[in-house]
Amino acid sequence: MRNGLRQSMAWLHTWSGLVVGWVLFAVFLTGTASYYKPEISRWMQPELRREASLGPDVLARAADLAVAHLQAHAAGARTWFITLPQPDRPLLELFWRTRPGTPPGRAVLDPRTGEPAALRETKGGEFLYRFHFELNLPPLWGRWIVGGCAMIMLVALVSGVVTHRRIFADFFTLRRDKSAQRGWLDAHNVTGVLALPFHLMITYTGVVTLALMYMPWGVTAAYRGDAQAYFAETGQITQPRPPAGRPGTLAPVGPMVRQAAATIPGPLERLTVANPRDANATVVAVFEEPHGLSHEHPQVAFDGATGAVVEVRQGGLRPAAKTFTTMVGLHEAHFAGAALRVLFFLCGLMGTAMVATGLVLWTVARLPRSGQAPGPGWRLVHGLNVGTVAGLPAAVAAYFLANRLLPPDLAGRAEWEVWAFFSTWLATTLAAFLPPPRQAWSGALVLAAALYLAVPVADVLTAAAAWDDPAWFLGFDAAIIALAACLAIIARKVARYEAPRRARRDAAGRPAPGAPPAAPEPALHAAPGPRGEGADARLGRA
Amino acid sequence: MSHRRAARADILGRAAVAGRVVLAAGGGYGIAALATALLSLTLPLPRSEAVTAATLLSVAVMVGVVVAVFAARSLLRALVGVGAAGLVLGGALWLVAGAIPPGPAA
Amino acid sequence: MNAGALLLNLGLSFLGLGALCLSLARHHGAVLRSSPRPARVLALRAAGWSLIGLSLAAAIRLEGGSFGPVQWLGSLVGAGLVLIAALSYRPRALPWMLLLAAAASLAAPALAMSRPAF
Repeated sequence: MRNGLRQSMAWLHTWSGLVVGWVLFAVFLTGTASYYKPEISRWMQPELRREASLGPDVLARAADLAVAHLQAHAAGARTWFITLPQPDRPLLELFWRTRPGTPPGRAVLDPRTGEPAALRETKGGEFLYRFHFELNLPPLWGRWIVGGCAMIMLVALVSGVVTHRRIFADFFTLRRDKSAQRGWLDAHNVTGVLALPFHLMITYTGVVTLALMYMPWGVTAAYRGDAQAYFAETGQITQPRPPAGRPGTLAPVGPMVRQAAATIPGPLERLTVANPRDANATVVAVFEEPHGLSHEHPQVAFDGATGAVVEVRQGGLRPAAKTFTTMVGLHEAHFAGAALRVLFFLCGLMGTAMVATGLVLWTVARLPRSGQAPGPGWRLVHGLNVGTVAGLPAAVAAYFLANRLLPPDLAGRAEWEVWAFFSTWLATTLAAFLPPPRQAWSGALVLAAALYLAVPVADVLTAAAAWDDPAWFLGFDAAIIALAACLAIIARKVARYEAPRRARRDAAGRPAPGAPPAAPEPALHAAPGPRGEGADARLGRA
Repeated sequence: MSHRRAARADILGRAAVAGRVVLAAGGGYGIAALATALLSLTLPLPRSEAVTAATLLSVAVMVGVVVAVFAARSLLRALVGVGAAGLVLGGALWLVAGAIPPGPAA
Repeated sequence: MNAGALLLNLGLSFLGLGALCLSLARHHGAVLRSSPRPARVLALRAAGWSLIGLSLAAAIRLEGGSFGPVQWLGSLVGAGLVLIAALSYRPRALPWMLLLAAAASLAAPALAMSRPAF
């Protein structure tokens, strides 16, 4: 029943891909951008002055200032998170949760004075990164939606491989001179197959990163639901210490920072203070991941009241735990040097292109016969395609543009930048439904290209005075211009595209003589045909 | 008369496909969850290692069940397959869980 | 991050993928304007897979057992992209590009060995 299996897998691939395609495009796009999260954040706060290095004294003093601020502003919180200053980001970033339902507290301070940092308020690259796995929704909702879509993506990958008839013979093939559908199918296959190991890896490791949230049943069965105990036993975190219930005072953290820095080599990244007003307060010093694929952070835990070292956690992970941390590490690619990061970025772009070409292919394969108007389903898919594939890049450009155009001291400007992102996305999507399809595509792409072109202009005009390294900022701007150029080229190709021999094909409803034989994946053609043929019949068997 | 029969067959066909989707999603997650819990308790590894290994595998299990449900020749076969796997895993889990003495609660 | 190692990987991967590509009649015709004889197809496939394997071995040797395979896969994607672009837009240029890749692959080990791996 080989033919039947391939048909079923083709059906599964088409529909699973479509249903989650728009979300996946957003996830892939923002994820690919996140490979350069530190660079984006740096560009979006040009006032920030980097430092050559930060010694333990600076860190210790910064930690004391942070704790002082938190004791004044976050006394009721159960846990304080302090991101310590780094040479390329000399800021104190504080985070704490108050009551459930209320937004968490944040502060960005100058590490030397403890005063709020004199920078434009922005979410920077962090917004795109969090959007990648939370979609800017409440964390639980967003992560479940992205996780569900990622699982369906895995199904689409597997069914895509099963259904791809000539995966080796067509490996290098990109036919631009045949029918539009053939060309789009080739593009979809090439972007999918060429980076297939990457796509499989990135999707699987993406789900694995949050696997304990999606599949907590192992912890439920073996640990009676105590996830903290599980994490501690794997060796990834220090043993959690429950609060004593008695009040206590926190010892100065400066000496703790010094001692931690002396215990473990490598940059100290952050401090976590658990139960700060309790007698059993715990201060954990978390270090940057050592060089390697595995995503693990060495940690030193201190007793908060006395400042004595309670536990040192460094390496020593067992095979399964190591596999887990290596999978997370592969997904985040923190280990990648400059050149390897470019390759990861290219693979991410190919994944994004794979999703986009798949979405477009869906509409191209179901174009109505000439003379007939497309049905509402087709129009919906088309509108969402344009709104996502062109609108989302445009939204990212709008986010950058807003960063430069909004006054640096405007209250709530970080939220306004995010508003610019979403309103551009929404506007493009809504506008995409109005013009005829080809105009909608080229118009939206031209808009995106124009927005990207505006970004370096705005940068030079408004922020050039703040640059500390003009070459770096101009380099970033050059990359943005390259993006604009790519979008403009694609827009031009769409506007000028001449479908070869389409007229003859449409009139007869069959391929014209001399045209390539019917595409090997019959299910892709089956959509407007009579019921009961192809994959629908086989899957419809109850 | 045949027109109505064809329309009825069409509705049944769509219902069968919808059934596969529901079975794949629910059954896939259910089987993966049962397998994760069972493996966490039965793998001959230290406790945290067993949970990690089982959880890592659960992703592949779920994808496998989804693909199998759609590769099956009929919805009925898929239902039988998923049901049987669920019964076996559930039964095994019940046996194993019963054999573990109750420990300290979370 | 060793530039020489990456260059070697890219060069060898490009050569290997190029050989595999030329072993397919359609692409052989587009590039060399002739159909390959069975003996040549076999030779190209053998060469292609060997070069890809050599690229993996070099990656592991120069970058270690964990980074090596990651870099190797990345180099395959990068080389593949260049190859497909060449095939689609300038197929006649491919033989020159293969020569360039061969030269780069020969020069790269010197670059790789001259400084220690990261």
